[in-house]
Amino acid sequence: MATPFTDTAPGGAHSIRPCWSCRGPAAGDAAFCETCGVIQPPGQEDHFARLGLERRFDLDAGTIDRAYFARQRQVHPDRFARRAPREAAIAESRSVSLNAAYQTLRDPLRRATYLLELAGHPIAGDGKTIADPELLAEVMERREALAEADSPEAVAAVAADARHERVSAEAALGAAFAAGDYPAARRHATRLRYLGRLAEEARRRSAMRAA
Amino acid sequence: MAYSDKVVDHYENPRNVGTLDKSANDVGTGLVGAPACGDVMKLQIKVGAGGLIEDAKFKTFGCGSAIASSSLATEWIKGKTLEEAASIRNTEIAQHLSLPPVKIHCSVLAEDAIKAAVADYRAKQPKASEAAE
Repeated sequence: MATPFTDTAPGGAHSIRPCWSCRGPAAGDAAFCETCGVIQPPGQEDHFARLGLERRFDLDAGTIDRAYFARQRQVHPDRFARRAPREAAIAESRSVSLNAAYQTLRDPLRRATYLLELAGHPIAGDGKTIADPELLAEVMERREALAEADSPEAVAAVAADARHERVSAEAALGAAFAAGDYPAARRHATRLRYLGRLAEEARRRSAMRAA
Repeated sequence: MAYSDKVVDHYENPRNVGTLDKSANDVGTGLVGAPACGDVMKLQIKVGAGGLIEDAKFKTFGCGSAIASSSLATEWIKGKTLEEAASIRNTEIAQHLSLPPVKIHCSVLAEDAIKAAVADYRAKQPKASEAAE
């Protein structure tokens, strides 16, 4: 599998910064100073580096979970209860940035969105519109089918179809990332976002009916 | 978030909902989307012999502001020339509907939909030079 991102970002494992406590050198993304063992504040590294993960789309949930929980244990408040308040505060801020990294990377679509941002091919954000006729015609058709669904079974059928499409779109997204084809990855990610919205709308419709 | 009375009015009584024959030569179709919020908007124009927009229809799946923006857009462009319609700015729509800053993108969607419909109509017409021959 191609790994398009191999460069180490500034602030990554190979950069050195002084330890705030002993002034000795500390590795850029290490949680603790090698010299005095005191906790280090979170740096500017990206979410992948924060969890010690390779910058790629193809990561399974278990790998991300293990990386996250191992790092969260290191900064657990109990371990800093008898340390200086500043160390406890630094542990807390590391915990916050680990959470942000985990939330971003755990969900495949958010991970894809983040990767596309890092790669300089961000998907259209707030206030940005797209005019991809094929994709939008498909979205329009699915939304119309949902709007016209007049029984719980019909709504469920649209939802099941959307779920099925999401699985294949996610596979296509993974293949596009593996090939380093960012424009294609962006298109698949945009489609996934629309399919997600469709699923949400279907759930809302079912809930309305149930109420 | 509270919608303005005008947004609620357009949302509850949308004007010109429907579809025109997109393969007809006198119909222009604009299809645009805002992926960030999952909105999709279709706006169509039917242009009369005098070059005026004689009918406009829309279909929007999205929030109340997106529906109101497209509903208002179809009202505004009826009876206008293509140039006049294409010159409508999203800020005018946003201002008329008193859209809050977080919903400005809905009016952008409507402006882009009008422009796309006009462009689609124009692409269907024979070139001016060819027509003159």
